[in-house]
Amino acid sequence: MSTSNGAVLSVEGLKKHFPVSRSLLGRTRQYLKAVDGVSFEIEPGMTYGLVGESGCGKTTTAKLILLLEEPTGGRILFGGEPVSGLKSDGLREYKASVQAVFQDPWASLNPRMRVRNIIGEPLEINTSLTKGEVRSRVAGLLEEVGLAPYQADLFPHEFSGGQRQRIGVARALALNPKLVILDEPVSALDVSIRAQIMNLLKDLQAEHNLSYLLIAHHLATVRHMCDRVGVMYLGRIVEEADTEELYENPLHPYTRALMSAALPSHPDIQRDEIILTGEVPSPLDTPPGCHFHPRCPARFDPCDSVEPVKTEPSSGHRVVCHLYGGA
Amino acid sequence: MPDANGRGDVVLDVEDLRAYFFTRWGVVKAVDGVSFQLRRGETLGIVGESGSGKSVTSLSMMRLVPSPPGQIVGGRVMLDGEDVLRYSEGQMEKIRGAKIAMVLQDPMTALNPVFNIDSQVGEALRIHKRLSGSALKSQVVDMLRKVRIPAPEARVRDYPHQFSGGMRQRVVGAIGISCDPVVLIADEPTTSLDATVQAQYLRLLKDLQDETGVAIIFITHDFGIVAKMCDRVAVMYAGRIVEQGDVRQIFNNPSHPYTEALINSVPRMEERNDRLYSIPGQPPPLWDLPGGCSFAPRCEYAHERCVEYPPVYELAGGQTSACWLRSG
Ligand SMILES: Nc1ncnc2c1ncn2[C@@H]1O[C@H](COP(=O)(O)OP(=O)(O)OP(=O)(O)O)[C@@H](O)[C@H]1O
Ligand SMILES: Nc1ncnc2c1ncn2[C@@H]1O[C@H](COP(=O)(O)OP(=O)(O)OP(=O)(O)O)[C@@H](O)[C@H]1O
Ligand code: SF4
Ligand SMILES: [Mg+2]
Ligand SMILES: [Mg+2]
Repeated sequence: MSTSNGAVLSVEGLKKHFPVSRSLLGRTRQYLKAVDGVSFEIEPGMTYGLVGESGCGKTTTAKLILLLEEPTGGRILFGGEPVSGLKSDGLREYKASVQAVFQDPWASLNPRMRVRNIIGEPLEINTSLTKGEVRSRVAGLLEEVGLAPYQADLFPHEFSGGQRQRIGVARALALNPKLVILDEPVSALDVSIRAQIMNLLKDLQAEHNLSYLLIAHHLATVRHMCDRVGVMYLGRIVEEADTEELYENPLHPYTRALMSAALPSHPDIQRDEIILTGEVPSPLDTPPGCHFHPRCPARFDPCDSVEPVKTEPSSGHRVVCHLYGGA
Repeated sequence: MPDANGRGDVVLDVEDLRAYFFTRWGVVKAVDGVSFQLRRGETLGIVGESGSGKSVTSLSMMRLVPSPPGQIVGGRVMLDGEDVLRYSEGQMEKIRGAKIAMVLQDPMTALNPVFNIDSQVGEALRIHKRLSGSALKSQVVDMLRKVRIPAPEARVRDYPHQFSGGMRQRVVGAIGISCDPVVLIADEPTTSLDATVQAQYLRLLKDLQDETGVAIIFITHDFGIVAKMCDRVAVMYAGRIVEQGDVRQIFNNPSHPYTEALINSVPRMEERNDRLYSIPGQPPPLWDLPGGCSFAPRCEYAHERCVEYPPVYELAGGQTSACWLRSG
């Protein structure tokens, strides 16, 4: 899965540096390196997970892919073609093929619109379907996400959180996308409803051969949903592997610390928690050498001065850390 | 006096607590006959779906149920042997934030951005311990030192935005324990905190508990927090506790179908499970509860007897269950 090249979407060296002005420093322009050279591939029908500390650049990566932000560097390839080179038709097709579902089912739906229009809007803008065709497509989508067609006439506030997230999923599916970006899609929901939505997402994936990019903090959810996972730290992917390999055999000291901190599923499971000392450095002021070295329990000689490079200790398992050679 | 099992004294004894909201839809029985005990140094988890009455239970103990439309309509909340439901508002103000205090997990919303750390940590001390001047200042610095803020003397005048997320969280912990609470309530909304930040926060609470013996109530959706932190668990459904027990009893032998269903619907960190159990349907509206067991419409084991509300059965080892399946 990690070697094939039929990726739906790949990003290569993607960067987003936000200019920030610091009044105290006068005119010197500073850059916040939110995404700083991220590369990964998403295969058809597969789920790629992005995990990492708050502020490490996950949502910004998603926004770059959704063309909501302009990259500072690197490129996005869709079916092998650079998205930056797409002209009107191609661009429209790209935008239809890449959809998103966000965390907050309360904030992401327009409260003044009926569900029929929320789901139908992308169809009206992007297709030449007739009113009647849109109507029946909306009814079909509602059924697909486990809602009833009559609910098309209701407003978002007439639904529970889990139902609203289903509406968000239905809207994302309206244009038959190839890739759906899921940014914390279940974290605002109840445990029982989370399970329903996760099962729904898996069923829809199997049925339509969808690819997902899943962003989540909850590591158990990621293990359950993803085929391959990238671990981000300060704007970069520091480790990447197929899910089972990553969870069974984490290599990077940051991944190990992250996994050790995850909550157990049973009181008898006692993990030796790796406690990270020091504060998360600011992406405005990234440390030299390995970005993680000020907090790394395993740091050694080269770490504070030499940037580690990506190595592949076993097939498909990539890591950026001096412990695994390279340099 | 620790009991035969080495457990501390009962510091909180909630008995048949009822808190209702009188709304235009009808009477919302948000908390309807809740009973539990908490011992010194013990941690209780209260779990259950959204709207099951967890927060209203904690607001009732703090006497903060918004009224109208809410009202505590019955029961007792014995804190250190005294029923706080019988306190005057004046008496209540003396213990709220002191003997019984609350902490919020999210460090971004828990602190007020326009006041400095000094005044926020000092507020409870000023009110409850009547400290002022240099005595207050030195107590604030002590609290910050206790939660391991480096160079506390220098940092007290800073504002929250000058602190990192982790440090803010520790400040929140300092405020929570500043007046030596007997009971600390941690009400957790569903959030998407980092695993590492959350682990830090949980470790902080554990350390503070080890140092002070404070009893903690975790109000949460997250069975991971329960597994990691709690000694005992109370599972709430539609305003009532449907099961209570030691944390291992709850995980190994859940006695109520709702508990079992909740645990099975959580993905596990340690292994991949291909499909999650999902509880059909939704919790019932609290102003229009079905007669009988409120979980019956969603329960896989529902049978004829469930049209009547089950009594609370006492099982071995102190576990309790409000389900007809345990009748004998
Ligand atoms: N428009 C912007 N201007 C300046 N900085 C920004 C902007 N958007 C994001 N950032 C910064 O970029 C960094 C990455 O943010 P991002 O939202 O991608 O993080 P994230 O990994 O999604 O975090 P979380 O897990 O908290 O959602 C953060 O430091 C953030 O403050
Ligand atoms: N001010 C209020 N007026 C009317 N009803 C209320 C009020 N506050 C709470 N309720 C109702 O009381 C019930 C219990 O709410 P509570 O906040 O205790 O739930 P919870 O278990 O804490 O849920 P969550 O996990 O979402 O925080 C809910 O049905 C809620 O709608
Ligand atoms: S390169 Fe060094 S500092 Fe960075 S993670 Fe590896 S061991 Fe730690
Ligand atoms: Mg984000
Ligand atoms: Mg609540």
